[in-house]
Amino acid sequence: MQKLYIHPLPVRIWHMINAVGFVLMLLTGTQIRYIGLIDLMSFRTAVTVHNWIGFVLIGNYFIWLLFYLFTDKIRVYHPELSPTKHFQASFRQLQYYGYGIFKGSPNPHQVSAYDKFNPMQSMMYQVVMFLLVPLLAVTGVLMWDVQGFYGAVDFFGGVRVVDTVHVLIYIFFAFFIFFHVYMGSLGHTPTAHYKAMFITGYEEVEEEHTHSGAAKP
Amino acid sequence: MAGSRNANTISAAVFHRHLVIGVVATFFALFPGKFMAAEAAPADKLSDGDKSCLGCHGTEGMQKDLGGGKLLSLHVAGDDFAKSVHGANGCASCHADIDLNSHPQKTKNISSSREYSIAMAKVCAGCHAEAQNESETSIHATLLAKGKQSAPVCTDCHGSHSVTPKTAYDTCVGCHNAAMDAHAKWLPNAGLHLEVVSCAACHAPTAQRMVDLRLYDGAAKKWVSEKEGLPQFEKWARAADTDANGLDALELRKLMAQINHDPAQPEKTLRGRIELRTAVQAHQLSDKANAIRDCASCHRQGAEPFQNVSISIVSADGRPLRHKAQKEVLSSALSVDSLREFYAVGGTRSTLLDILLVLATLGGLSVPIGHQILKRIVQKQLEREAQAKPDERGGA
Repeated sequence: MQKLYIHPLPVRIWHMINAVGFVLMLLTGTQIRYIGLIDLMSFRTAVTVHNWIGFVLIGNYFIWLLFYLFTDKIRVYHPELSPTKHFQASFRQLQYYGYGIFKGSPNPHQVSAYDKFNPMQSMMYQVVMFLLVPLLAVTGVLMWDVQGFYGAVDFFGGVRVVDTVHVLIYIFFAFFIFFHVYMGSLGHTPTAHYKAMFITGYEEVEEEHTHSGAAKP
Repeated sequence: MAGSRNANTISAAVFHRHLVIGVVATFFALFPGKFMAAEAAPADKLSDGDKSCLGCHGTEGMQKDLGGGKLLSLHVAGDDFAKSVHGANGCASCHADIDLNSHPQKTKNISSSREYSIAMAKVCAGCHAEAQNESETSIHATLLAKGKQSAPVCTDCHGSHSVTPKTAYDTCVGCHNAAMDAHAKWLPNAGLHLEVVSCAACHAPTAQRMVDLRLYDGAAKKWVSEKEGLPQFEKWARAADTDANGLDALELRKLMAQINHDPAQPEKTLRGRIELRTAVQAHQLSDKANAIRDCASCHRQGAEPFQNVSISIVSADGRPLRHKAQKEVLSSALSVDSLREFYAVGGTRSTLLDILLVLATLGGLSVPIGHQILKRIVQKQLEREAQAKPDERGGA
């Protein structure tokens, strides 16, 4: 096994804070929305914790953003501009996760510091990081002070529209968190990706780069 | 020639007369209000008896010397009284104790203006017995009974001679001017809460609440009022409510489309407020220690305030005109547009989004479960293939 440094420290710090923060946001958000059905904490506690962590995560987003804006690692988010190439590669990746992985076939995506996402991850993370997370943050801040941001709330179509967008993205993340955590366990060992993303930063790949399960979740 | 010219033209004098009449008529047609008789003052509509009272009491600065440097204002603004909700009742309906044969010669013995206000407030119960009953156990009445003379009586909140419909918030902050700061210390989004929740909705905890969806003009930044003499709201609401069981989400959309049918007019929206089902219940004001502080009282699905919903407009006289809506409009996916300015987190959540959340969670859980099942199936298939291959070799 060869060790490749794929996840630099700022990315690991951002991811660690994000992981804890998103779990707490999902829990408190669920508590806020479903009080009476779920009673883990009081509504007021849930709102207070949700607000504080929300602002921490907005700050945390800028760690991620600034790191990628000011380093050449932004290349990991560069999209594949040829739709044919993108969909062919995505199909190969689907075949791998649906069949090849079970018989020990090599991962069609070769991970490297500048190409750490497989085609499906690449598309998903572009949508998540450049669209959904910012939209979630903006709608959250607007609802944090509806009166103060009345002009912006009105611009987006009113408080019900803002809330609906916020909740739709929350629903997406309620799905995504299970998907993301499970996909993280599909390395060459169940904990390989977790160790790399949370602790060491090093992904373990086959020496000759021909066999690898090292796709980041 | 001259005779012919005279037959086809008018004389200079006639022309001038027509010109002057034309100019004057045009002037009056363009500026009628300036030259017609002055519009009748509201007080002119009062009865002759009331006018005779105002003959003296309408005098600005009229007051009674109570002795010891204390004064009691006896002035009544006639126009304000005439425009008030009691204008039609007349002076004697409240001041029945005044005997015109001996007034003003025979004077009352009044020790202070406050004592007089407290005494006169009892008159209100003559008509407003229900409100009086509700207020008997209120914090205001309790404080008064304990001897705190500054505790408010009816007229302190409602006024005496100029009673008009006004919001509870405007009334309450008249005395409780530190309310905003006090709420901001513990209540998230305090400003918004004080804007959309009637004070009594929390401070009369035993009262029944409702959601009042009121028409709002965002461009003019004010509540929409029904045009005097042109009542359309009730007609349109009744027409939209085809089965007369309260507006459902689809009917509400149609009503809003009808209200906003003229694209040249600023768009009207519905803004929700938590109000009491009957204004009389607002008199049950309790000690603030008993006020509702539990967020879940409203921010919970099925919470009591969301069981009754009405849409309303401010009538020409300032009172709300209401039409019932079904409570389901608050949680319908069809209301995203028609109720875009009213949403209570947790309390009015959309049923469709709840279903989507359940599906998303099940979908998320099905990924590991489905993938592991797929793994077993594929591995068994591979094992069968592996077992078959040696057999094939053995057979060969």
